[in-house]
Amino acid sequence: MLHYDFEWSVLWRYPYGGMFIQGIWTTVHLSLFSWMIAILLGLTVCLCRMTPLRAARFLGGAYVELFRNIPLLVQLFFWYFAAPSLLPRELELWLYGNVKDLGYLVAVIALGTYTAARVSEAIRSGLLAVPRGQYRAAHSTGLSGGQTYRHVVLPYALRISWPLLTTEFLTCFKNSALAMTIGVLETTGTAAYVDSFTFHGLETTTAASCVYLATSGAVILTMSRIEKRMRIPGLIRRGYN
Amino acid sequence: MIQIRQVSLWYRDGRKVVDNVSAEIRRGQTVVICGPSGSGKSSLLRCINGLERFQEGEILVDGISVSSPSTDLHALRAEIGMVFQHFELYPHMTVLDNITLAPRKVRKKTRQEAETKAMELLNRVGIPDKAAVYPGELSGGQQQRVAIARSLAMEPKAMLFDEPTSALDPEMIKEVLDVMVDLARSGMTMVVVSHEMGFAREVADEVIFMDAGRFIEKKATASFFASAENPRTREFLSRILT
Amino acid sequence: MDWNVIARNLGFMAGGLVLTFQLAALAIGGGLLLGILLGLCRVSSVSWIYYPSTAYVHFFRSQPLILVIFWFYFLVPILVGRPLGAFPSTVVAFICFEAAYFAEIVRGGLQSVSRGQTMAAYACGLRYSQVQLHVVIPQALRNMVPALTTQAVVIFQDTSLAYVIGLREFLRRVNLVDTREVRSVELYCFAGLVYLVLCSMGSILARRLEQRRGAAPA
Repeated sequence: MLHYDFEWSVLWRYPYGGMFIQGIWTTVHLSLFSWMIAILLGLTVCLCRMTPLRAARFLGGAYVELFRNIPLLVQLFFWYFAAPSLLPRELELWLYGNVKDLGYLVAVIALGTYTAARVSEAIRSGLLAVPRGQYRAAHSTGLSGGQTYRHVVLPYALRISWPLLTTEFLTCFKNSALAMTIGVLETTGTAAYVDSFTFHGLETTTAASCVYLATSGAVILTMSRIEKRMRIPGLIRRGYN
Repeated sequence: MIQIRQVSLWYRDGRKVVDNVSAEIRRGQTVVICGPSGSGKSSLLRCINGLERFQEGEILVDGISVSSPSTDLHALRAEIGMVFQHFELYPHMTVLDNITLAPRKVRKKTRQEAETKAMELLNRVGIPDKAAVYPGELSGGQQQRVAIARSLAMEPKAMLFDEPTSALDPEMIKEVLDVMVDLARSGMTMVVVSHEMGFAREVADEVIFMDAGRFIEKKATASFFASAENPRTREFLSRILT
Repeated sequence: MDWNVIARNLGFMAGGLVLTFQLAALAIGGGLLLGILLGLCRVSSVSWIYYPSTAYVHFFRSQPLILVIFWFYFLVPILVGRPLGAFPSTVVAFICFEAAYFAEIVRGGLQSVSRGQTMAAYACGLRYSQVQLHVVIPQALRNMVPALTTQAVVIFQDTSLAYVIGLREFLRRVNLVDTREVRSVELYCFAGLVYLVLCSMGSILARRLEQRRGAAPA
């Protein structure tokens, strides 16, 4: 074993302590903004896939396949390095001149659109799990299509999708670490950044790892509490994976 | 053959499922246990071959205690066949493999021996042409008959039936019951949890009515149907004998 | 647009793809082995086996892979006493990380075999090892195959993260070409297409297996 002097003070010593706080905060809002995009876009894509319109179904399906089968890092690089040059020249120049934190903006977009494909699948699997008989029963009592969805299908499907959505949110949260590759100083990025000054990467990454562990734990606890409250007696409870 | 002495069983959540019951089943006898769902019938049945552990009392099979730590439960189970409500055939094996698995692995028979015996048993339960198919391709009634053949392949000293017909469509119940009647008449010792009172009347030596973990009524078949004393038994009987 | 940039650098980038495949193969093989072990521990009723394996799985599943790669990059040299280079430490990181995901697939597969099946097997007098070998594991494996295939696709995508510690796998090499040639649109579209084609084949295979399982006799 190599001799190694641990120096945990790099975690709070000036100026690194402030950097870490900043980094954790960036991870939080980066993943929350991306999640909002993912939910809205994912719901749209999912609805496209469920409509009787062939073209919409095809587009929805293509979106999911495309975004799920290309690594997030490649997508991130595409948005960051390639996409701006596809814009009209003036817009591209304006973008580089006026957007202060292009890396952050790109990270939110890339993570949001990537996660949307996964969210769409999570919601769809919930909708598909609702037995056909439920639709028929609702229609037979005279409920309209919209009412059937609102009162019968969605409440059922959401409960099935809930654990999947929790997992996806955590995946989004963890994936936000990839933003470091385009210069966003979120938690992991900060850990690597501080290492480049101090050569105490083991301490910084260990600390970062604790941050992820604690956050995941908190999210899972909250979500399973909500899930328990929503639980329908007699229906099988689904565990987190 | 099977002696049940003051057996009580609690679930982990503290509920008492079997409450101080005793019975003796002699060699060649058929005993039918009936009662409302959740009355502990199936749990008691599972206690007999040690699939469920009970906390109080004693069960002896052929003089060997099921709960004693020195008992080889595997050897004991090999001597007692069991048939389940949902058949529990192994879906990834053909009918023939389902039947020959235990004889080959436990009894160490050769494949040849085991298969000859299996074909004989398939003949006996009336589906010799289904040896090569998978359980999923069979009707419920056929699956249950295969399950019976699978138990018989071990040449058991006694057979336990856990609601063998309650997952079946009405038109298939008879084909399974016919096999069971045949078996009972051939002198097999049988404990049957079932609501098939026609079957009980025809072959049972004794009928037990169980409710809330207790034996409410326990009588020779003729007197059970003629003169059940307990009002709960009579109510139950009137409900299922329509 | 100058699509020739791809033809000019094809050999260089293909070399990276070889490394990508090597890393993926090692991660899948090693991860699966460790994952099966952990999965078996996760269904154990012995508490000193169950709790540590559960803690391991939960820990790694809460971590971003990119951080784990860094962490092992810093840790492995200290443990073995000398710098090892990026590739071995990345392989270790991948195996440890992916094992946690494989473990959950294995556990799900084992638990998908109903209690009635094991009871029926025990009722015939089979022993624990025989029940597992002849009844539980064959059924569990069948149920696990689609999920395992999907996970293999995910790992293949994940290998691109080795980029961060400078391992010259496919994406790193595309990135290097881009620095030299400044042809981002062409190069990243190409990279995306390569991953899309390879991963789609895996996804389609997984779906086929899933459908076949659904259609198979119950």
